[in-house]
Amino acid sequence: MSTMLAGAAPLLRTTLKHDGRRFAPWIVIVTFLSTSSVLVYPWIFPSQQDRAGLAAAVGGNPAVGLIFGPAFDLSTTDGFNAWRSLALGGFMTALGAIFVLTRATRGQEDSGQAELLASGVLGRASRLLVGIGLALIGSLALGVIASVLTGLSGGDWPSSLLLGATFTATGWMFAAVAAVTAQIGSDSRTANSIAVGVLGVLFLLRGFAYSIQAPDWTVWINPLGWMTQTHPGTGNHWWPLGYALALTLVLTTIAFTLQSRRDFGQGAIAPRPGPARGKDRSTWRLAVRLNGGPIIAWTVAFLALGLVFGYFATSINDILGNDSNVSQMLAAGATTPDALIAAFIVTILSLVGIIAAIPGVQIMLKLRTEEMEDRVELVIATKVRRVRFYASNVILALAAPTLFLLIAGVLIATLASAADIGVDFGDAVLQTVATVPAVWTIIAVSIAVVGARPQVSLAAWVGVLSSFVLTLLGPSFKLWDSVLAFSPFWHVPNVTNSDADVWGLLWITLVTALFLVVGFIGFRRRDLAR
Amino acid sequence: MSANAVIEIAGLVKSYGKFPALNGLDLTVDQGQVHGFLGPNGSGKSTTIRVLLGLLRADGGTVRLLGGDPWKDVVELHRRLAYVPGDVSLWPGMTGGEAIDLLGALRGGLNEKRRAELVDRFELDPTKRGRQYSKGNRQKVAIVAALASDVELLILDEPTSGLDPLMENIFLEVIAEAKQRGTTVLLSSHILAEVESLADRLSIIRDGRIVETGTLTELRGHTRTSIHAVLQRIPPEDEMDAFRDVRLDGAKLTGTVDSNRIGEAMSFLAPYGIQSLTVEPPSLESLFLRLYETDTPAAATS
Ligand SMILES: Nc1ncnc2c1ncn2[C@@H]1O[C@H](COP(=O)(O)OP(=O)(O)OP(=O)(O)O)[C@@H](O)[C@H]1O
Ligand SMILES: [Mg+2]
Repeated sequence: MSTMLAGAAPLLRTTLKHDGRRFAPWIVIVTFLSTSSVLVYPWIFPSQQDRAGLAAAVGGNPAVGLIFGPAFDLSTTDGFNAWRSLALGGFMTALGAIFVLTRATRGQEDSGQAELLASGVLGRASRLLVGIGLALIGSLALGVIASVLTGLSGGDWPSSLLLGATFTATGWMFAAVAAVTAQIGSDSRTANSIAVGVLGVLFLLRGFAYSIQAPDWTVWINPLGWMTQTHPGTGNHWWPLGYALALTLVLTTIAFTLQSRRDFGQGAIAPRPGPARGKDRSTWRLAVRLNGGPIIAWTVAFLALGLVFGYFATSINDILGNDSNVSQMLAAGATTPDALIAAFIVTILSLVGIIAAIPGVQIMLKLRTEEMEDRVELVIATKVRRVRFYASNVILALAAPTLFLLIAGVLIATLASAADIGVDFGDAVLQTVATVPAVWTIIAVSIAVVGARPQVSLAAWVGVLSSFVLTLLGPSFKLWDSVLAFSPFWHVPNVTNSDADVWGLLWITLVTALFLVVGFIGFRRRDLAR
Repeated sequence: MSANAVIEIAGLVKSYGKFPALNGLDLTVDQGQVHGFLGPNGSGKSTTIRVLLGLLRADGGTVRLLGGDPWKDVVELHRRLAYVPGDVSLWPGMTGGEAIDLLGALRGGLNEKRRAELVDRFELDPTKRGRQYSKGNRQKVAIVAALASDVELLILDEPTSGLDPLMENIFLEVIAEAKQRGTTVLLSSHILAEVESLADRLSIIRDGRIVETGTLTELRGHTRTSIHAVLQRIPPEDEMDAFRDVRLDGAKLTGTVDSNRIGEAMSFLAPYGIQSLTVEPPSLESLFLRLYETDTPAAATS
């Protein structure tokens, strides 16, 4: 065993030094999420009345519950922070852990760096160990920093520490998941996609299980459910974290076993010989081909998403009926069930739209990867115009998410209209179509970034991230309209409103056009692969 | 400069951020020529080529390619040229055959007969996927893709760096055939022998500047023949102007002579009774090495 792990310690030190900072953005985001709840809560919701209002607003829009999970107690700072940060913070930490691990293992194999290392005095298992070590240390640092700063910002110490521990535990579990997928996938992109897919499915299932008050076991078979069951701020149970540790150990063992059986640079699935002649003869076909696998995977994901959300919509009356705050509001005549349901449909479609933008941004970033790996230069050295080449990818990045959103939207419309909750099929489909321009706007951010300033490729996610935060968190935070208007989804009209106007959609389309122009001009004028 | 120049670069400047990769590069390649482009690692060969392909934008100087501007007239120019990168990266999931057809189609069609013949000669298995190819085989894919099209200009960036000697010979044959068809070739390389056997002219680049350019014979003119002689009598040292770097060890003389002064040197030595004599022909290798050394001043005196 000791020879298997030779050289791991020095390699871990250098890797920490060079790749450790890749964890920094995740630490910043999660810490911000958690500390900001604690700092801002007493200020925005000073009285118990305000807090009950928040609880009603959250209970009144179950789409929010799908993402944030159950709100056990919104009347205390720590209860509020647990609701707002636990699910999302864990999700972000897991993403960070997955990306760092895949990069340190599979990514290095793809780029040939690993070969250089493997030829040195390095045991067979050392590189995987270093990847896992990096992800574990990163997650631990994230948990510690987030919880200590939350405590210093005024959070109750036991609750803040437990919350930080759930971040770390989630990061650890998904580091282990990624360690396994890195052995299965045939390259880093596949390995990442499988791991993130697992995370996404478990995340939605958790929100779903709590929202429809499914039987207890549906929560307990879900590793993310264990995290919610720690109840930071409302119960402070540490013991579910033990399950997370056990799962991390089991998955890590599986990963090492798989790794010892596969060849360097290969996945578990060996590629077969392919055609000697090619049929793809245009940049458009090339773009489709390079993104074909993920597009198929995302199509399946959106079929599932449409079914889940559609089914969720059918039980909306029960969900609203079970919430005492909402019942009070309805009884007081402050709102009507129809208005709540229409608002719910708008929110849920915005949510689907934001998720649908992710593959769009990925397609644009894939183009940047191709460029950095010197494959774009092969294409541009032929008689292809840069603008044309870029357009092929841009069209795909806009069209695929549109298709995904429509798939999920039609499914939601079908299920909801069949359920006698007062949703009209035509209205729901129209609402889906009205959401499309907003999706384009946030994808257009990545088009501008990759075209004009690809060095800051992380900025490609700004549109998705800010829309997500503003659409889901903004309203319950009483943010000003001028701030909320930064999210293009804020401009999507509710088509069931008779006075809905389309000016907002025109404005955001103008913004989209602007981003496109910046992206195209940038790509035409800049040096390639720099 | 010349009326039928295919590549004309004058005073080309290109920086990466603050780092000047090219500072005032001049290069002319005439039609139908094979032009060798030599230089040490990091001297700016690939950068020059990437400017020629319109992948990078020149910061200063003028660049003409096939009578056009490589940055503006991309489509018209790229229809007429083909490129083999120094470090070939193929699409991991795409077979070599598919990559050749894709690149050929994007260039505006390829010569089917030549494609088949090249695949055959290079013993390339076109059914393997990008990530399964070895370095040399990836390079073969790029070479076949470039040479299967009928183009006027081939731009090759260290095309043989991964090929085995057998394949390198085939490559040299193929380039010679292309030259016969009238194709102009810009061939960057580290290997002098390769360039020596093919190139009509050579340019040597160092630190982003051309330090030598000319035909093989012209460059040879800059090199010196080395002479080792054992003499009967010791010649007076102050009369040996024909020689450079002379060293006398008793009656044993070693030194170098400029190519155009060999006769003079011989007549000088003859009266002192030559007992044995070795004359080493001038080698480009020595010029190459001399120019590569960073501490000596670049411009050679002639
Ligand atoms: N993208 C880049 N960013 C910054 N510097 C670069 C970049 N590409 C190249 N350089 C630098 O520019 C200089 C010239 O590089 P170039 O690749 O043109 O050299 P080369 O002559 O092709 O070398 P080699 O023989 O090793 O291929 C080098 O010093 C290199 O470090
Ligand atoms: Mg080079």
